[in-house]
Amino acid sequence: MRIGRSTWMLLLPLALLLGGQPAWADEPPAAGAPAAAAPAAAASAATPAAAAAANPATPAPEAADNAGEASTRALDEQIQDVKRQVVDLNKDLFVLEEELLFPANTQVAVFVSMDVGDFFALDSVTLKVDNREVSNYLYTPREVTALAKGGVQRLYVGNLRAGSHELVALFSGKGPKDRDYRRGASIKFEKGIGAKYLELKITDRARRQQPEFEIKDWE
Amino acid sequence: MIRCPGRWGVFALLILLLPPLAGAAAVGDMAPDFALPATAGGNVRLSEHRGEVVVLSFWSSRCAVCARQLAALSDLQTTYRSAGLITLAVSVDDDLLRAKQFAATHPARFPLLLDRLKGVSRAYGIDRLPTTVLIDRRGRVRFLQTDYHGSDNSYIARVRELLDDPL
Repeated sequence: MRIGRSTWMLLLPLALLLGGQPAWADEPPAAGAPAAAAPAAAASAATPAAAAAANPATPAPEAADNAGEASTRALDEQIQDVKRQVVDLNKDLFVLEEELLFPANTQVAVFVSMDVGDFFALDSVTLKVDNREVSNYLYTPREVTALAKGGVQRLYVGNLRAGSHELVALFSGKGPKDRDYRRGASIKFEKGIGAKYLELKITDRARRQQPEFEIKDWE
Repeated sequence: MIRCPGRWGVFALLILLLPPLAGAAAVGDMAPDFALPATAGGNVRLSEHRGEVVVLSFWSSRCAVCARQLAALSDLQTTYRSAGLITLAVSVDDDLLRAKQFAATHPARFPLLLDRLKGVSRAYGIDRLPTTVLIDRRGRVRFLQTDYHGSDNSYIARVRELLDDPL
């Protein structure tokens, strides 16, 4: 069926009125705006733009503000999403690193905890495993305070073959009446399949007015 | 076809992931953390001063210039303490008694630390005395000066620059 020129002249305005402004009439998205946000922004902009064209009383800048806000929200959501991914990736990398460097079947970890600390001011702890020094840690006043408040410190993590081993811990600090204090504690333990956790516990014995040092399996 | 790397491939990957093997700390590097005993008692850990500008000075009781520099640093510490300046002076003396005697006769307004095993000195690549290292609030080495001339106050200008830099 052939459509004459007069028919086109009647149909074109009608098509524009019903379909809104064509897509090429929209302003291009601002530089740097994500491509995913552009269609959403354009779609949301097209509708208010069409409404503005149909109703000249509606101010045009309001439409631009709405488009900008939508674009900013979408961008913010993307940024938050990327941050969450980075945090998750960092966590996964840390776990992977621990598993690679200290696999569970050979891992041994030593933790330090402290009671109130009235009779002993901790200065340093030296660890020896099978007569080999593996750690020598100096404690600052802030760290001692943290331990006294109930904190637990992972002093050492390493790898050991299955079998019998000996751990020796030397505690240095100030004892009762501010005298230099140096005590040791030792434990023989069996390293089997699975990670081994040991705890160095420093407690006050009020009856003896002395600190007590023990090494035990950490539960 | 993609081949599994095998254990040697995993080992090579681990080597690449490990931090570069120890060289001395250079400008721009993260300052190596440490904990050392102080002559006045107690221990001091560098990382507990993150957020502050740290002047790290390496000295010896046998170094006459070091004594002059420590006095100048004491004045600097007094001036800028409230702005977040921390000064730590690390002795490389083998004889701890001598170092403590020096500290007693040259009182300073900051901790004098004892690096008997030279672990910290090696980490910072100290081969001349005095050596002054400036560490910014983020824990990065920003300036390194070997030797000391009383008339050369370039490091004071850099201290001010770092103090002006908020974290």
